Amino acid sequence: MLLAQVEQVQVPDLDFPAIAPILIVLGAACVSVLFEAFLPRSARWAAQFGLSVLTLVGAGAALLAYLGDAPATGVTTLAGALAVDKPALFLWATLLILGLGSVFLMADRRVEPGGAFAADAAIRPGTIQDRAQATTVMQTEVFPLALFSLGGMMVFTASNDLLTMFIALEVLSLPLYLMCGLARRRRLISQEAAVKYFLLGAFASAFFLYGLALLYGYAGSIKLSAIAAAAGGSDRSDTLLFAGIGLLVVGLLFKAAVGPFHTWSPDVYQGAPTPVTAFMGACTKVAAFGGILRVFSVAFEATSWEWRGVLWGVAIVSMLIGAILGLTQTDIKRMVAYSSVAHAGFLLIGSIALTDEGRAATLFYLLTYGFTTLSVFAVISLVRDANGEATQISSWAGLAKRSPVVAGIFTVLLLALAGIPFTSGFVGKFVVFSAALADGMAPLVVIALLASAVAAFFYLRIIVLMYMREPEEDGPTVSLPGVPTTITIALGVAVTILLGVFPSAVLDWSVVGAFVS
Amino acid sequence: MLILIAAHFLVAALLPAVAARWGRAAFVVATLPPAAALVTAVSWSATVLNGAPPTESLSWAPTIGLDLTLRLDPLALLMIVLVSGVGALVFVYYAAYTPPEGIGRHSALLVVFAGSMFGLVTADDVFSLYVFWEFTTVCSFLLVGGLGLTRAARRSATQALLVTGFGGLAMLLGLILLGTAAGTFRISAIVAYPPSGAVVEVAVVLLLVGALTKSAQVPFHPWLPAAMVAPTPVSAYLHAAAMVKAGVYLVARFAPGFADLPAWWIPLVVLGSWTMVLGGVRALREHDLKKLLAFGTVSQLGFLIVLLGVGEHVAAVAGATMVLAHGLFKSALFLAVGVIDKRTGTRDVRELSGLGARWPAFTGFVVLAAASMAGAPPLLGFVGKEAAFEALLGEPFVLAVLVLGSALTVAYSLRFLIGAFGSKPGVSLVDSEKPGAVLAGPVVIPALAGLVLAFAPGVVEPVIAGYASAYPVAEPYGLALWHGFTVPLLLSAVVLGGGYLVHRFATGHPGRLPEALHAQTGYDRVVMALDSVARGVTGRLQAGSVPVYLGVILVVAVVVPGAGLLAGLTPLPRTQWFDSWLQVPLAVAVLVAAGLAVLARRRLTAVLVTGVIGYGIAALFLVDGGPDLALAQFLVESLTLVVFVFVLRRMPTRFTEERRPLTEGRWVKAVVACVAGTFVAVLAVLFSANRDGLPEASVEYIQRAKEDAGASNVVNAIIVDFRAFDTVGEIAVLAVAATGAASLILASQRARRKADR
Repeated sequence: MLLAQVEQVQVPDLDFPAIAPILIVLGAACVSVLFEAFLPRSARWAAQFGLSVLTLVGAGAALLAYLGDAPATGVTTLAGALAVDKPALFLWATLLILGLGSVFLMADRRVEPGGAFAADAAIRPGTIQDRAQATTVMQTEVFPLALFSLGGMMVFTASNDLLTMFIALEVLSLPLYLMCGLARRRRLISQEAAVKYFLLGAFASAFFLYGLALLYGYAGSIKLSAIAAAAGGSDRSDTLLFAGIGLLVVGLLFKAAVGPFHTWSPDVYQGAPTPVTAFMGACTKVAAFGGILRVFSVAFEATSWEWRGVLWGVAIVSMLIGAILGLTQTDIKRMVAYSSVAHAGFLLIGSIALTDEGRAATLFYLLTYGFTTLSVFAVISLVRDANGEATQISSWAGLAKRSPVVAGIFTVLLLALAGIPFTSGFVGKFVVFSAALADGMAPLVVIALLASAVAAFFYLRIIVLMYMREPEEDGPTVSLPGVPTTITIALGVAVTILLGVFPSAVLDWSVVGAFVS
Repeated sequence: MLILIAAHFLVAALLPAVAARWGRAAFVVATLPPAAALVTAVSWSATVLNGAPPTESLSWAPTIGLDLTLRLDPLALLMIVLVSGVGALVFVYYAAYTPPEGIGRHSALLVVFAGSMFGLVTADDVFSLYVFWEFTTVCSFLLVGGLGLTRAARRSATQALLVTGFGGLAMLLGLILLGTAAGTFRISAIVAYPPSGAVVEVAVVLLLVGALTKSAQVPFHPWLPAAMVAPTPVSAYLHAAAMVKAGVYLVARFAPGFADLPAWWIPLVVLGSWTMVLGGVRALREHDLKKLLAFGTVSQLGFLIVLLGVGEHVAAVAGATMVLAHGLFKSALFLAVGVIDKRTGTRDVRELSGLGARWPAFTGFVVLAAASMAGAPPLLGFVGKEAAFEALLGEPFVLAVLVLGSALTVAYSLRFLIGAFGSKPGVSLVDSEKPGAVLAGPVVIPALAGLVLAFAPGVVEPVIAGYASAYPVAEPYGLALWHGFTVPLLLSAVVLGGGYLVHRFATGHPGRLPEALHAQTGYDRVVMALDSVARGVTGRLQAGSVPVYLGVILVVAVVVPGAGLLAGLTPLPRTQWFDSWLQVPLAVAVLVAAGLAVLARRRLTAVLVTGVIGYGIAALFLVDGGPDLALAQFLVESLTLVVFVFVLRRMPTRFTEERRPLTEGRWVKAVVACVAGTFVAVLAVLFSANRDGLPEASVEYIQRAKEDAGASNVVNAIIVDFRAFDTVGEIAVLAVAATGAASLILASQRARRKADR
């Protein structure tokens, strides 16, 4: 009998070329931990930075190599736990490039002398030891953390069952919680942000898990396709299904910082070290919406009539919260946080369109938004005064007179966030809104346009402030960025303008068709 | 045409460098692109009028159907004459007018604006139209704001941008809805084969919001007078001749397709007439010559909107003629105000006196322009107004309002002339040198054009008729100064006479408008309300407190699915409260412990009480016959307690030193917590009632437990037999984690010992 059982145990099919990018990223994350343990302190920064860049480039290369002979409809692998299809590959590519940009920001040691991260985050803020570490080099643990998180995000966007999705969610979240608390300056607020993010994130995970359990109770399976099949044709009680969807979606919307589940994001965006904020703002958004798209399209499409109304409401609330509350912000990082809440509302509109156009539009929007956000935070990290970053909006007055280049770049980025033509933001909004219109969501698009008009006002306020005011005497200066930050900013601005003027190539690529399940 | 637009932007890019090197000469260079545009457009006029409008197209993003398509038809040609012709004049004028600073910025922006305006009037697809539309908005913002040195400039610029930007977005939505309904985004195709349906009505209203904001119609008009803080040539070009005409242009462009819809003509006629009268009344109250003209522009734009909006052949002829006439006389008048301002240093009618006697020739030309505005013969304004009265003879009510508005126009034209050039008793005569040829020329040319074209309407008539041919022709109408003794002629006489009387009356009774009638207050209130709502909500919800954040999430999670469940009216299953008497004291103990845990002030007490909850639950498992579960729960609880005690050693004994008062906020939190808890409990009951039998896996496990594993407890069989590999894995993970935790504790102890030594 034992023999018979041994024969029954089968190793699931592994499509190595398909999942090579994930394996590379997660494998390198483990190697990175070993680096941290065994390399001398002086050698770590170079080794970790090199490894991270190499990993992301290598994973990108593996992705490109696979892209050549990938089956058109995609494959499922790992016993159906992962679905590697066109949308997943697009999201992976987006994540890898944005991740690379974030790693460059994290590695910069010139903007903040010694790096943006504390040398020893465990020391209590304000003590003698803490003051002593102010001038030492940063710790490099942030690199393995970022790699783990990125690996989690990649799995999250490709997971084909809810349990894989949950584990990926935790793998991507736990490192982020930690990374938020690593700031070198203003450590108390950074640690507060980390704790808040962790506590609220734990609640969101609990919601997700509860929803998962209910859906399992409903469908008898955690596979997205099985849930879809169960919902499509059965006389089972819908109570479990809808309660499950509701709770699951709360967890997902929390990660994507869609209002009214956004409450953590302004505090965390403000407190976290700016490179980490950039990473969160760009990559987490991509991963969360990638997951939302997949769950909605694959598992819940048959029931879309029932839940769509609720998500209309959520999208409206999110856009209004983001646009209106953004008006009163006095801190630039908080302002960008609220702007991201408004953008999450726009993205949600694209996500619930559930058409090929809607998917393509959302993917394109994610790509453009990610690059713009990354560069926005990179520029924010450059404007500094004696206490570190000068995030008070009022202190940005007259920046154009001190540093026309930085002000010009920031203007382009803000215009992209506002969705002005000839920036990527306009094309993104345009494709999302037209997909929504085609799917019969005209009222939602009206509100979205109103919200973007209101939101444009606070982007504009900063432009006016930078160009039309005289700089203050003791105002902030723009520090010279190191090479890594420069690369990220240049990349972000180039993509923002290029995709605004010549969007065709990427638009073609973003038409990915359906998910495989 | 694409090359012309590109040339505008290219020249604009070079202008700052030119200005830095050669100063004022930059404006001469700036004249080149609009002049070239004018010449090219006029040279194509034969093709245009033959009914074969030249079209150019550039593919931008074919995937999503974004193209840049330009088309030169009679309406576009008419607008180009205004936009590029007046533009070239204004640039020449600006060279003499400008102060030395800011030349590069202003010239570049003005050329960008001229190029955008050219693109706007030739655009034949909705996206190019929108893009150029917003370009003009942004240029206006930057030109009005200037260098942003004064609060008034910043405020006015922002208001202009907000109002017109809002309108632009509404227009975009309207255009997209129209395009979706029509199945094409080509404007010429949409107008030729207009779609119909409820969506189209909405789309048309949205489109009109764009037109009405841009053309400063009631209730959006206050931005235009406020924008008069801009330099006078900018006002002459943007806020009289070109940009504010964009709204009128939009109406003219779409009217042939949609003028039959009530949603189209009712708002246009009502708001246009209202604006015409209101603008006229306000113009009679202003002392600043520029503001007077600005309200005059508001009034005239209302007139144009009515004419072009009604969608009828003669009205279209009148409207197109008036667009041209207005562009000519208003730019001449604005530029004249600029001359007066520059030479005398003031444009207040109470301080100017005797200019007419000192500058007789210049005054003569300005009188020509003002008379054209008043609609006096023999000028183009008169020709247009005659046509307008003729067109609206069948609509007595609208006609009456227009006659009233025209009388007001005569009145403020008189007020302008007398205020600027007349001699007033008690005011010292202004003594200044005469304007030079470069300053006066751009005033003289459009003023003269108004006179010449009135005698030779044949020059422009083909273009105007080309536009008006979009409507069915009942009887042909020829533009002329003399149609014989007709009703319109009588009306013109009434207007001129009435206008004189109104002017007499108004100068005798200077009064003020009640505050409530100022639409500016409305704008201020909207902006302030938005700000205060944002502040209030932020202060309440984004307080930085984790309980509040959690509360928001919980409330949403309760309300949304809760409402869904209630709406679905899932019946509560029949439940019995307890199975065994033992459960009652246990449940009570758990509840009491939960309450104590919240109220406890010592950390250790709270932890212990939490432990009681866990043990209570474990006991409930035991009662239900799950000793294995209960055992696991006991173990976990004990372990958690130990870990807690380890940590608590290093923390203060109490949560807070003082006993916290029971404030309202804490009650709210308590209520939210209780509601959320109860909700989850109810859900649990609902869900367990809604399960359909046992899942397949369970059935199979239960079947096979006895025969395959020889076990009477299924759970045991699953753990040690069916899923033995999983169990081994779990044990391994636990072991690794425990080793790690233990080594951490040991390591820190060793470190402390070292430090103690």
